[in-house]
Amino acid sequence: MSDYLFIQSQDPFTETRAGHQYRLAQQLREAGRGVTVLLVQNGVVPARQEAQSRPFDSLLKAGVKLLADEFSLRQREINDEQLKAGIAVCDMGAAIDAMLASHKVIWH
Amino acid sequence: MSETKTLTFVFMDPPFEHERTVTFFRLLDTALDRDVNVRIFAYEGAVTLSFARQQRHGNAVHGRDTDEEAHPLTREWIASLQNKASSRGLQFEWINCGLCVDERGVNEVIEGCGRGGPPDLWRYATTAFNTLTIGTR
Repeated sequence: MSDYLFIQSQDPFTETRAGHQYRLAQQLREAGRGVTVLLVQNGVVPARQEAQSRPFDSLLKAGVKLLADEFSLRQREINDEQLKAGIAVCDMGAAIDAMLASHKVIWH
Repeated sequence: MSETKTLTFVFMDPPFEHERTVTFFRLLDTALDRDVNVRIFAYEGAVTLSFARQQRHGNAVHGRDTDEEAHPLTREWIASLQNKASSRGLQFEWINCGLCVDERGVNEVIEGCGRGGPPDLWRYATTAFNTLTIGTR
């Protein structure tokens, strides 16, 4: 059974499809798959504590592992301390490691 | 001694337009850091990433000449990754979709970047350890 890593570059405030993408990750998790979502580019925006996005917060509570790209955070002046609980900071190595672990890596 | 793995990346964005291009190059750079061979199939606008006639320019609005502006060129990023791969004994292959090249008139590419088509994409994807396709949406 495959594990999944979604590289989430879209955010729910400018792309309505982001909500559908979150739900896909959530449903895969509910189906028993290992699911990681790596937030990159504007994908990191809903990770801020002040950001209000029900679809994203629902994803956060779904047992999906959430990572945020340190470079994308820095570009947007978001500090580690400003992230919602449960989101870990990482670099692009997370995506490459997932590919090398035979995970299905999908760009969103 | 374990065999070096190969990862394939499929990319369609042109240079100088979207943040995806930077993320794509960061992924390639990190893959080389992990000591894996890297293959890229570039199609649509991404075939211009390796266009040899990309030129730097100044920025008159900000009063900077060409050197001060230091405008990044993707052809130089590719060359840098080629050098990095070579120095680590890794393969770094780059194929541009020929039809996409002809449409855009960008046949002049930097050394080390080739021309191909869907069979190459198939070969890259089926012989790689894993493949990542980065779509525009």
